[in-house]
Amino acid sequence: MGGSHSAFTEQELDDYQTLTYLTKKEILHVYKRFYTLDPEKVNLDKNVKLAMDDIQKLPELKVNPFKDRICKVFSSSGDGEMTFEDFLDMMSVFSDQAPKNVKVEYAFRIYDFDEDDMISGSDLKEVVDRLTGEQNLSEEDMQQLIDNIFMEADLDDDEFLSFAEFEHVISKAPDFINSFRIRL
Amino acid sequence: MSRDSAYIYDDVPNQMGEYQYENQRSGQQYEMSDMASKGDGKVGLTRRKTWAAHNGADLETARLLENLPSRQLENLTNTLGRDTVRLNHRRLKSFHGPFQHGDGEETSTEIANMVTNDPDFDDRTEDEIHTLLKGMTTTLSSKRAIRRKVSSKRKRQLGWFTRVKYNIGMSWQHFKYSIAEVMYSLELWKSHLKLIEGHFGTGVTSYFLFLKWLFLINIPVFLLTLGFVVLPQVLYRWYENVPTGYQQTNTSKSFTGAELLDGRGWFENTELYYGFYTNETIQITSGYKYHMRYAYLFTCGGYYLLCLIILATSILRSYRKYYIEGSGDFNYYFKVFNGWDYGITSQEAARLKHKSLYSELVEYLAGFKAPKDKSLTAKCQIFWLRVLTNVTVLALLASSGYLIYYISITMETKDIAWLDVFAMPLCITAINLLLPLVFHGLEQLEDYSKPKTELYVHMVRTMTLKAVTLCVLVNFWYGRSSRRMCWETFMGQEIYRLVIVDFIFTLLITFLFEFVRKIMAKYCVKRLSLPEFNIGRNTLDLIYSQTLCWLGTFYCPLLSCIVLIKLIIIFYVKRVSVLQNCKPSLRPWRAARSHTIFLAFLFCFFLLSTVAVACGIIFVLPSEECGPYKGQNQTYEIVTELIDDWREDEPWLTYIIDFISSPGCIAAIVILLGMGTYYIRLVMIGHKEMVILLEQQLALEGKDKNFLLQILQNVNKQNRKKDKKTPDRPFASPSDDVESITSPGGRKFIRQVAEASARGGHGQM
Repeated sequence: MGGSHSAFTEQELDDYQTLTYLTKKEILHVYKRFYTLDPEKVNLDKNVKLAMDDIQKLPELKVNPFKDRICKVFSSSGDGEMTFEDFLDMMSVFSDQAPKNVKVEYAFRIYDFDEDDMISGSDLKEVVDRLTGEQNLSEEDMQQLIDNIFMEADLDDDEFLSFAEFEHVISKAPDFINSFRIRL
Repeated sequence: MSRDSAYIYDDVPNQMGEYQYENQRSGQQYEMSDMASKGDGKVGLTRRKTWAAHNGADLETARLLENLPSRQLENLTNTLGRDTVRLNHRRLKSFHGPFQHGDGEETSTEIANMVTNDPDFDDRTEDEIHTLLKGMTTTLSSKRAIRRKVSSKRKRQLGWFTRVKYNIGMSWQHFKYSIAEVMYSLELWKSHLKLIEGHFGTGVTSYFLFLKWLFLINIPVFLLTLGFVVLPQVLYRWYENVPTGYQQTNTSKSFTGAELLDGRGWFENTELYYGFYTNETIQITSGYKYHMRYAYLFTCGGYYLLCLIILATSILRSYRKYYIEGSGDFNYYFKVFNGWDYGITSQEAARLKHKSLYSELVEYLAGFKAPKDKSLTAKCQIFWLRVLTNVTVLALLASSGYLIYYISITMETKDIAWLDVFAMPLCITAINLLLPLVFHGLEQLEDYSKPKTELYVHMVRTMTLKAVTLCVLVNFWYGRSSRRMCWETFMGQEIYRLVIVDFIFTLLITFLFEFVRKIMAKYCVKRLSLPEFNIGRNTLDLIYSQTLCWLGTFYCPLLSCIVLIKLIIIFYVKRVSVLQNCKPSLRPWRAARSHTIFLAFLFCFFLLSTVAVACGIIFVLPSEECGPYKGQNQTYEIVTELIDDWREDEPWLTYIIDFISSPGCIAAIVILLGMGTYYIRLVMIGHKEMVILLEQQLALEGKDKNFLLQILQNVNKQNRKKDKKTPDRPFASPSDDVESITSPGGRKFIRQVAEASARGGHGQM
């Protein structure tokens, strides 16, 4: 291994601990996982920016239908490339300790494909398409589904889910906090 | 689309009804990018405006939209939601929105200013600031910058008192971190759980988490009995070299190994059973005495109380999470936004998850399209069918109860070789294994519309069966207590055997249903699919085993240790089996909901077993020859004796005890509790009605907004017709088609305006 202990000074670890939901051990563990994504590059420079493809080697992301969105949302440059800090940020949000409202915020961004801070019908369609994978819902079913979702959650009837609407409903989903989680 | 700006939801009440941008309207040119960098209090512009601006729509309309009361309501819910999460009476400003790409110095300064300018800032502890920082959804580097700025400001302003507070806060913070660090290293079975979750998702993991939870609550029970009952007894035996008065006649039996199965022989003369404990007072040092009798009873009371507290709190938490906070009907929404398990790592699981989500959605949509309207005759048919099946179930329950009673009687009166001590536990386990299969068949006939209902009915029946068998047994044991020399030890042995047989059957079932079936599916019968892990049945088995533990701990103090070992072994066996033999299920498993139900079952069984043990302590005559309570009329007697002792010493205690135990006081307490419950219920009903009203109001707001927007649109159109010479009028685009305006949502409306202005009057934007 690249000597994960020597990779950070005590000060850096302290900082990370204050700014994320992880403990020092967990942070070092996150570093280990980051390291395994591309040992060579990380060995040379621990602040290296890994390409989206490298990040997606993480087993949880590999099978995740929203992997590109996740990378984009957490990448500080916005293009899906991630530094270790971005990666740490991501793992912190997906950890057990992160509170629901933070998770909801990021979930909202992940599902907001066109990044207009509203989840529109087309965003919903994209989400459903990715969720069902190879099988696709028929056009009619899809429309029905989207209508139903808006009926349930779109409080102000504008055919968009704003963050508040999204949060209002998702905070009532008891399983959300468990499913929106990546174990370290 | 660049989004170099920070949008912050400011305190809504300040914003309400206030046109923040009134003064800003001088320039028609308004660029989003410089909004962030200027940022002297104008950051509060929310996202809707961004959208409008980026899409070339008119800002005025967007601003108006933003200031509509219903929009404010949205912001309000947002802020309120956060505040309740934080559980803090002081309001922390909430930050929502993408600071994402606004990584620059300016943005972080601005946010830092927002934090420090808050009037409550000085009163905040370090902890709160950190929580606030952690909760910001921005990148690490900008968080670090904000933190640096905030803390530099803090240090300058600090007085003596606040500095002390600050230091205490810091130490507290460090303490919390080190605790978290320790907890992290102590976390049990972490990697196994991760692996299971990776392959099977949260459903199967919930079984293992439940197992782990049971394991953890058994540890304090074990430690309590070990520390206060078992160890003193061991020490007593060690110091008093000649153990007299507590051994039974059949002494000196050597350990052969068969005892592990049937719990008799050598074990009878160990600390495993009630009968071995002394009723003497142990002299520790001069002046300090250890009353074994008190210790035994009070430890027992202690661990039941402990379990009660743990169970009650977790059931409340779970209930609140699922039924109170999670109320409402959001089926489709949850299925879509909560559909993916982010913890999944295996390709196969991911494939199955896609498939399961697809079929679930299709199924649900089909149900939506064709609401089943059964004819009256069909309904009648089903009604009678269900009556019939329920009668059958009751008959089955009764007959299994009788069978157990019959076997126990026969075992006692006649000496039949093949009806050895194992007849009863084997019979019970077989009943518990076979009857649920019969129930399952009956439920297929009953034709429930929802699989959820079927599952619950099945669980309730299975658990009733288990309760019935245990009740019959306990009743039998208590009823025949006078006929045995040391019935408590006998009861302990019986429960020990039940635990052991249950354990062996669990292993056997895992082997047969999971391993053998996998082998068959792989090599012999290709049609047979790989088994699925049955979360419901396995969890119910765990609950049953835990009930046995609670029932038996009084008569067999070390039973909790045996259950601990059993749980560890089951964990590893199931872990290996599930990963090797099973395939992920296509049926979704709602972990949170079923967890509440399992806890409710566990709680019921806990109450049942506590009542059973309490009855034994209060009403049944303890055996004459053995145990800590020999020679007494009832176990509970020692408590009354103790109270009588106290009365002699402290007369004032008499009044208190008399007062508390007087019927009037008890009645008053009961009435008060009843009134409290009734009051809370009324409040709850009131809240529910309020929620409905608010929802209706919200819908009305939406309609109001549409109505007003239409009027606005019309007015603008008229203005345009009147005043064609003013080209820089916001709505001066010639091409609105009237249909689009009447569209249901304001968003559509803006879009129309945006498109229109893009087509027509793009020049001035």
